[in-house]
Amino acid sequence: MRLMSNAGANAILSRLSDDEFVDRETEQGRVCELAQIGPGTPETRAVRLGSNALLLGAARVGKSEILRRSFDRLFNQGAEILPIFYDVGRCLDLEKFPRDYFSQVLAQFVAFRRNDPRLISAADEPLAVISGAALPEDYQLVRSMVDSFTRASQLEDRSLMTRSALSAPAAVAANLFLKPVVMFDNCHFIADGEIHSEFIRALARNRASETSYVLSGLERLMSELIPADGELFEKLELIRVERLSYEHVERLVRRRAELLGIEISDSTIELMMLQLDRDVFYTHAILDAAALRGSSLKTFMEFERLYTSEVLDGRIAHYLSALLRGVAPDLRLQRTVLEALMLVIEARLPVPVDDVAERISENTSDAEAVLSRLHARELVDMSYGFVKASADPVFADYVRAKYRSQIAGARRPVAGEELLNEKLKQSYRLMMSRYNRAVESQLVELLSRFDFQSVPASLFDDVSYHKRYRGVSRVQVRRALDDEPERVRLPQIVLVHDLGAGEQAGLSWRLFAATGFEGGIYTEANEVLWLIALVNSREPLDVEMLVQIDQRLESAVRSHRAASGEISHAVRWYLSKEGFSAVACERLASLHAHCSTYAHLDLMQDYLTKLALVGEPRPASEFELVIPVEDEAELIAARTAEQIARAADFDTEAINQIKTALIEACINAAEHSDSPDRKIYQRFAIDEDRLIITVSNKGKTFGRAKGQSTPSVAAQPEKGARGRGLQIIRALMDDVKFERTDDGSRLVMTKYLKRPGNQ
Amino acid sequence: MSTAEIRSKLIEDAAVIYPGPYLNQLRGESIELQCEELLASGVRRIVINFEETELINSIGISILLGVIESVNHARGALVLSNMNASNRELFEMLGLMSHVEMVDTEETALAKLCADVKQAMV
Repeated sequence: MRLMSNAGANAILSRLSDDEFVDRETEQGRVCELAQIGPGTPETRAVRLGSNALLLGAARVGKSEILRRSFDRLFNQGAEILPIFYDVGRCLDLEKFPRDYFSQVLAQFVAFRRNDPRLISAADEPLAVISGAALPEDYQLVRSMVDSFTRASQLEDRSLMTRSALSAPAAVAANLFLKPVVMFDNCHFIADGEIHSEFIRALARNRASETSYVLSGLERLMSELIPADGELFEKLELIRVERLSYEHVERLVRRRAELLGIEISDSTIELMMLQLDRDVFYTHAILDAAALRGSSLKTFMEFERLYTSEVLDGRIAHYLSALLRGVAPDLRLQRTVLEALMLVIEARLPVPVDDVAERISENTSDAEAVLSRLHARELVDMSYGFVKASADPVFADYVRAKYRSQIAGARRPVAGEELLNEKLKQSYRLMMSRYNRAVESQLVELLSRFDFQSVPASLFDDVSYHKRYRGVSRVQVRRALDDEPERVRLPQIVLVHDLGAGEQAGLSWRLFAATGFEGGIYTEANEVLWLIALVNSREPLDVEMLVQIDQRLESAVRSHRAASGEISHAVRWYLSKEGFSAVACERLASLHAHCSTYAHLDLMQDYLTKLALVGEPRPASEFELVIPVEDEAELIAARTAEQIARAADFDTEAINQIKTALIEACINAAEHSDSPDRKIYQRFAIDEDRLIITVSNKGKTFGRAKGQSTPSVAAQPEKGARGRGLQIIRALMDDVKFERTDDGSRLVMTKYLKRPGNQ
Repeated sequence: MSTAEIRSKLIEDAAVIYPGPYLNQLRGESIELQCEELLASGVRRIVINFEETELINSIGISILLGVIESVNHARGALVLSNMNASNRELFEMLGLMSHVEMVDTEETALAKLCADVKQAMV
């Protein structure tokens, strides 16, 4: 069982496989393009040449791998661009930096020219050996570079040695038609005064030369690396590497889990992404641990157990311990640092630097330096005299667990269980917060579509909605909304502010302020402020909570007045997932506030979409069902179709016809296909006046007789012969079509709704 | 495919079979087997009562037609009863009404079979 993925076939320095390195093509392309010598005017070339870049991003976001892959790509291209990669972290003894760097440059140059990546490892050999491996036509250049460096070494002047080493790529560029791109990883280690000066000098000299530099490292230290030199910054491109999206992380997780043979459920994947904040390193650690133990990740409990174990003494714990040792090498200082971190994490709000420094200074005379190191490594956030915890939730768990076990004196097993308990309780909240974020996004997107439309008033009045539509299916509601006489004219929303969130037992909320204009006229008199409370609770919102939340909205109104002056018109809109209690409804009515549920939000979205698509086909409500090819599974499909057709207002006769036709379609799909997954896929789409059922499978076309291009029902079936299915389907449904798909076939059946007026 | 449990009863020398809620291949084959056994034991009058049957599929119909043929071949009689409107519509749509005897109730079916026997004896 492999725990480490192998990089691709052309991998030289890169460490991840193509499957594991996703969504970084843009950043990698920008690194490689820095040195492009393309067509253009001499002026354009002057701007492009000598460009440098800072590759910035959070820890473990993939910056090193971007540089390594860029090296591999440029090396394999073998064109005029010479890639040089140097990890400053490999040589922490800055006395040895010049020699080490120079050897690397030389070896990589020789390897590139010989098109033999194995020669890169010759960097560990004596310089004479590396020179000896150079191409004959390069030997003179290489020898002169070595001689120059050797002379500088003999003088034992580190500045001179550094200068000589750093100028090696420029020497190559000057003598050969090559354009070096020098990629420095972990630049923050260039902290030494002399080396730092020479480094900046090399960057500054580069204005006229043809070498590009790409610098990467800890972002907070990188910003201190480059002095405030306008000319330097003019040629400095910023390449920001963001966290992978949820979709990409999910894909990575699924692939790796499959590779390692780990059973994992959809909900665990989702929890993992939330709890690990889409950090690929942490994610890999959990998956690798699961593989080593032969554990599955099908349940929250299984995941949290593994997580707890990793944070206490797995790979994650070792990595974070190494980070802490980098800040505080001394054991006693480490303990103090843990106490300080615990103080910051538990405070939840920023803590004055002095308070934290005082805690740390018990075991060091330079607490500020320790804090700076913590800040540089993104283990805390320091700004304007305050310290707050970093956004890394895993690090926070690590600190809490270590504090309990090493400082508070809890015995190990107890500490482990506390963390496990906490995470299990938190897992539900985390999943809910993802749901909340989805609803918040839906609301904000909906607000951005408010554009003076006239919408049914019941969507803003839960009481009247219930009076009108109690017991009515959503499909029928959608049809009836058009007939509502009372309407609300929406404003045009221009700006939406997030006013913050709150939480109490069983309930959470987020407040928004949306400003816009009414009546299509852009004057102060027509300006409107919508104050919106989005409430997620398990029960209908009661009047006590309503009052509390309303107080917060009221304070938002006061702030707005203070900032922007009087508001002509303020509208309150409460959206509560489970609706409102009767007393709360009365209170809302007295406030002239709108009150909706999340279901109304969906209906409103559909309604606005329908208005926007007047004259175009409106998207239908859709349901999907997958059944296995096994005995009587088609009955499940029939029951589902029955429910859907009933909700869509089909009469009993039509419903029976639909069920019978669907059963035949499923039987046909099962009988006549070589479905590799032995599944039958169904989609039910309800439109204004029809139900469209699509039955599909992966495999051969179903329902065909040999030699026929389309299934024929023209011939009378023989008495006693099986397979009257198609005849039944065509007779009972209003429209039937067969379609080929890339991986199978499908049958599309339509039943029109017969309304009293249009039979 | 294994067979399904099919309820049935004997009333004098006639048998009444109840296919259950869904007449598919499984139940169709069970009915087929039961009818074979009934015919082998000398029963020649069979009623299939569809009172409990909500749905019939094409395979079930095909097997049913085969059973009717077997009963006719054995000089017996088979009547279908208590069929709901949509199943009846199915038979009509497939043009099978001329191939089957269909009545409204089990009692009517048994009476008809009795009358048919008496007529045959005349």
